[in-house]
Amino acid sequence: MSNADTTQSLTDRLTDRDTQYRIALYAVMYGLAVVFFIPYWRMFQLSVTPMSVLSQGGFNWIPPELTFAVWQRYLVEEPIIYQWAFNTLTIASITTFLVLLVDSMIAFSITRLDWPGQGAILAVIMASFMIPGYVNIIPLYTLINDLGLMNSYWAIILPFAAGPLGVFLLVQFFRDIPEELEEAARLDGFSSLRIYARIILPLSTPILTALGLFVFIWSWNQFLWPLIVLNDDALYTLPIGVVTLRDVNALAPNVIMTSLALASLPLFIVFLLFQDKLISSVQMQAGTG
Amino acid sequence: MSSVEATTDTRTVSRWEQLFDRSTRELLVGLLFAAPYLALFTVFLLYPLLKGLYMSLHEWNFLEPSKSTYVGLENYARLLEDPAFWNALWNTLEFVGMTVPLIVGISLVLALGLNKELKGSRVLQFIYFSPYVLTVSVVGIIWAQMFAQGGVGTQYLGWLFEGTPLNSKFWAMPAIVVTTVWWQAGFYFAVLLAARQNVPERLYEAARLDGAGPWRMFRDITLPHMKNALLFVVIASSIFQFQVFGQPYLMTKGGPVGSTETLVYYLYELGFQTRELGFGAAVGYTLLVILVGVSALNYVLVGTNDE
Repeated sequence: MSNADTTQSLTDRLTDRDTQYRIALYAVMYGLAVVFFIPYWRMFQLSVTPMSVLSQGGFNWIPPELTFAVWQRYLVEEPIIYQWAFNTLTIASITTFLVLLVDSMIAFSITRLDWPGQGAILAVIMASFMIPGYVNIIPLYTLINDLGLMNSYWAIILPFAAGPLGVFLLVQFFRDIPEELEEAARLDGFSSLRIYARIILPLSTPILTALGLFVFIWSWNQFLWPLIVLNDDALYTLPIGVVTLRDVNALAPNVIMTSLALASLPLFIVFLLFQDKLISSVQMQAGTG
Repeated sequence: MSSVEATTDTRTVSRWEQLFDRSTRELLVGLLFAAPYLALFTVFLLYPLLKGLYMSLHEWNFLEPSKSTYVGLENYARLLEDPAFWNALWNTLEFVGMTVPLIVGISLVLALGLNKELKGSRVLQFIYFSPYVLTVSVVGIIWAQMFAQGGVGTQYLGWLFEGTPLNSKFWAMPAIVVTTVWWQAGFYFAVLLAARQNVPERLYEAARLDGAGPWRMFRDITLPHMKNALLFVVIASSIFQFQVFGQPYLMTKGGPVGSTETLVYYLYELGFQTRELGFGAAVGYTLLVILVGVSALNYVLVGTNDE
């Protein structure tokens, strides 16, 4: 009898609209997650499938045999990926530092100091939001060539360091820092430099972190521009390096997929560590965060 | 120690104050702080912008720029007559036209779904968002494999096309669109999730008391409150997708028969493969005008909507 009751209530619950709705919601959301996950699984799966299985052709979801030989090859025996990772890390770190420094300085100058023309300069910087980076690549290429910077880290670091996004975000943030703090400091004889370094920057850590994280990832992932200005194996960044590995290993998907997995690992770890920060930095850009 | 520092400070300040009056001092300090950014901005943005215009009016000689010849608007005229340009423009519009609605739709579904309290929502969020941290070469190469012989896409959808989608004039572009949506939807999902979470919950409670169903709540509360975020997603993704390059470069090399050659790809080939820099600069400028037009149109639309 009591058993029948439970069955009854279960059917009731299953026909209840709210429950049906929740079941559908879970099905859609987890279904999409599975679809989103497939490329990751294929990358991993192929990277550990031995060539003997791959060369037979055919399709499977789970490799019949496992081997970590290719992983071992790129992690231990042929450490070219470390060189590329080092290049990428150096470029992304310097770019991030440079962007945070010059953006915060000019944003400080525009919001906390008072001089004629600052409004016009801000307007010009904001107008450059409309100029997408790629349309300028040909004259930029001749400029980098004239400056003798081809095949150097600086060729990648300098051209896109003065973007409008950081200025836009920091100007808004600095404007909201109360005047009183600064006035008190001025009365104490603080110079502008000390106000910038000791008051404004420490108060802006959250936005500087968010901006820094965004710039770092953007710089790490750059593709078209490094493809144009780098043509020396030893200087390649990870995004360019994996393409050359693909081109020479076209018939070995396990090699290709291992290199992709290795190239993605660093930013995946960054994302795992800073998931909330990164997502809020994305939201900040849209002004929805 | 600190007293020594203080005296030095005062002395410098006073000499500095003797030399300039207050407003000049503010101007000098202000410019000093602005200088590093303005230097980079001038050298690497404004100067190439002007130089690009100049180059586009010349038959440019890369090795000996002084031997370039002035040709007036010839490059632009040639551009308008180049079928490859119109093909690239059409392909780009086709790509943007398919990608943007899919990105908006999927990121909206993800955001609205994840706004409900679900078990494992952190893991779901991680999975949806994570492709965004990948570089385009990783994305392009993984998906090229997915659509190759023996890849998932070809295995399960093989009946749709002969051979593989990337070798099909009709299916190559949709394959690139799917790749791009996987890569980018997470970014816009994060934007829309925050916008959805900013809609006051009491509005829904009030509507529920009035007996409103889910569709009416979506239409009358959710959509109007998320309008600005949705506009941002449409504008930002249109401008970004318009500059698509990596996916066709890595997956199809622009083929088959030019069916996935986009504008930036066309620009890249002119600049860095056939080295027609003057003509390439004209293409760059044309692209710039198109994109500024798109942005301006958007600003006008958003502006009038806000009033």
